[in-house]
Amino acid sequence: MKMTPRVVLIGSVAILTTIVLIMIVTPYFTVDRTPSEIFRSRSEIEAAGRELYIANGCVYCHSQSIRTIDWGHGAERIAQAGDYVGDHPILLGSQRTGPDLSQEGGEHPDDWHLAHFMNPRFTRPLSIMPAFDYLGRKNIDLLITYKQSLGFKEADDRMTRQREWKEKLISAYESGPVENVAFLHAQVPEGWRNIPNPYPTSAAGLARGHKIYQDFCIGCHGPVGDGMGPAQPFLYPPPLNFTLLKDRGVTGGILYYQIMNGIAGSAMPYFKKELESEKIWDVGNFVAVYFINQSDANTPPRGIDAAYEPIVP
Amino acid sequence: MEKIAMIPVSKILPEKNQTSLLFIMTSAFWMAVATFIGLLAATELIAPDLTRGMGWLVFGRLRPMHVNLVLFGFVTPGLLGAAFYYLPRLLKTELFSERLGMLTAGLWNLMVAAGALTLSAGFSQGREYAEFIWPVDMLIVTAMGLVLYNFVMTVKNREEKTLYVSVWYANAAIVLTGLTFALGNVIWRPTSGALTGIPDAIILWFYGHNIFGLLLTPLAAGVAYYVIPRACRNPLYSHTLSLLGFWSLIIVYTHVGTHHLLQVPVPTWLKVIGIVDSVGMVIPVMAFLINIWYTAKGRLGEVHADVSAKFVFTGTIMYFFVSIQGSMMALPDVQRITHFNNWVVGHAHIGVLGFAGMIALGGIYYVLPKVLDRPLYSRFLADLQYWLVLIGVTGFTVVLTIVGLIQGTAWLNGETVYRVLPELHVYYVIRASLGVMIFTGALIGLYNVLRTLFFNTGEAAS
Repeated sequence: MKMTPRVVLIGSVAILTTIVLIMIVTPYFTVDRTPSEIFRSRSEIEAAGRELYIANGCVYCHSQSIRTIDWGHGAERIAQAGDYVGDHPILLGSQRTGPDLSQEGGEHPDDWHLAHFMNPRFTRPLSIMPAFDYLGRKNIDLLITYKQSLGFKEADDRMTRQREWKEKLISAYESGPVENVAFLHAQVPEGWRNIPNPYPTSAAGLARGHKIYQDFCIGCHGPVGDGMGPAQPFLYPPPLNFTLLKDRGVTGGILYYQIMNGIAGSAMPYFKKELESEKIWDVGNFVAVYFINQSDANTPPRGIDAAYEPIVP
Repeated sequence: MEKIAMIPVSKILPEKNQTSLLFIMTSAFWMAVATFIGLLAATELIAPDLTRGMGWLVFGRLRPMHVNLVLFGFVTPGLLGAAFYYLPRLLKTELFSERLGMLTAGLWNLMVAAGALTLSAGFSQGREYAEFIWPVDMLIVTAMGLVLYNFVMTVKNREEKTLYVSVWYANAAIVLTGLTFALGNVIWRPTSGALTGIPDAIILWFYGHNIFGLLLTPLAAGVAYYVIPRACRNPLYSHTLSLLGFWSLIIVYTHVGTHHLLQVPVPTWLKVIGIVDSVGMVIPVMAFLINIWYTAKGRLGEVHADVSAKFVFTGTIMYFFVSIQGSMMALPDVQRITHFNNWVVGHAHIGVLGFAGMIALGGIYYVLPKVLDRPLYSRFLADLQYWLVLIGVTGFTVVLTIVGLIQGTAWLNGETVYRVLPELHVYYVIRASLGVMIFTGALIGLYNVLRTLFFNTGEAAS
């Protein structure tokens, strides 16, 4: 064909126009815009928080799009087109340096987020997220409000639960250590309360527990388990001081349950998505041996030992 | 100590080719800035408290600064600098208006600087590759319009009746990108620069892919079609392949943006088109590459002897790899493992730096000595930059592909993001180290360009 300027320019623009009509304009008018069941409009404060989320580039490390193949954080609900009908811009993200935030609202109470924004390593020692203390408390509060809205109606339900439990926990904490410990233990189902740690204390187990404690726990509970980690100033009720638990009915099963499930309303997250059961027992025993100074590891009722365990005379 | 004599300014910016030189300086300067910012961002992934308290350097702002400075500060001006040189020559006329070209270059730098500063200050549209706020978007559209006007009027004034391949690509790149940029940045909505919901994702990734497919690729192809035949002293292998490559590029590339959205609730028919055309991309890619490589066949010695041709030819090899990888990762089964992780980052680096960036550098080193009528300050430094950038970008691709596969396979098998993170640390260290090489290469290139432009080269090393 004879390539003239007119052919090059008009041909190019004609092709582009045709394709835009097919690939952009047609979907624009045919895409289903029905809100999903969980959708609700964002409040003004939440929208202001979203502006900060956009301005500081959170989308480059956090996606907001759960796939059928996802397992981790927020993966209870697959993304639907109707989740995004209020989003301009849409913030699907393209990198998960951190977890997906589609269902982040209500995962943690506000104070966990405050500590996390002040420095993510306070609550997540292995995190590589930057510290956002430069934003100032007011802006951080806006961001927290936005994060707690992610998941819309489901987030609202989770936040209701967080607030209800926080009231109870604050009341228990302010009643004094004896009552606080009793309250916390009473929330653990009875069957769990009566189970001792099934593994024997061993040097290897304690070393593993130590590693897990440093990777997951040290930011809040502190290097000596007194609840005075770097996150403590931002958390209320404050992280549990393990040294108070001795002779107050703590069992391996109680520790396991609280690590596994977390304590909604407090900054204690659940770890069952991130720690296999043996790791939870290991870190529980580490806490018991070194900080509580009272461990029920390998005491009756014992059941059948795991095949690798040493034989107790 | 060596006595350095400054060359009079009147000899630096001759009456002609001022626009070309200004864009080349723009490219060399912003390459150094962009790679430094990229290095800083990579370092923050290793040491996140490094810039604690400095909001303007937080990772979430550095990342779009790096991306946009590489695109609009380094690669595009480098390719435009070459285009402003070869267009008048291929058309046997002078650039329509050097004054307009210089104004455009000034506007371009204003746009890049304004873009970087606004992003650092936390003003962002929050859309990948489309983060610039509306005033900067308008500066870009204006600059594109001015470039197009200069190009079209130069074509109109031509004395050479034949329209060479590079001319098609240069003009098509600017007209298509001007339109695509305006569309993709939703410039008719100044406050958000976005549509709402899923249509916003569709239009964003139409634009996001086309910033590579309709801007960088045709401009880089234009440079390759100009430099390689000249360096090899061989006519272009096939005019038919040129036509096939050109038109199929425009037809196919514009369809494939949806391959970024395969795992998002987007209409299935859009995904099907995106996948089919992503595989179909092999047509424009191989048409272009066969044309270039067969033109260079048996003459690689000439390519090697000319540092600019070496850069350009290496860029075409990178284009092969990025395209094969791109077509493959557009397949749904592959994308289960390659999405949301560093595989995509590696892919982007080989495309923008390895392909378009290398060719931009080749264009600069081709044009500079010819415009100034004197050799490069240092061939050795150019070769050093070549190897630093080549090893850096190849290393990036390898390391980030490894990281991406670690992430993708781990997540697919039930691991959480947080649990996988510590495994990546050592690779992030390697990646930042490679970033040092690339940043060093950028500084060496800037030094070489400045010395060639402004200082006596009579005592050039080696």
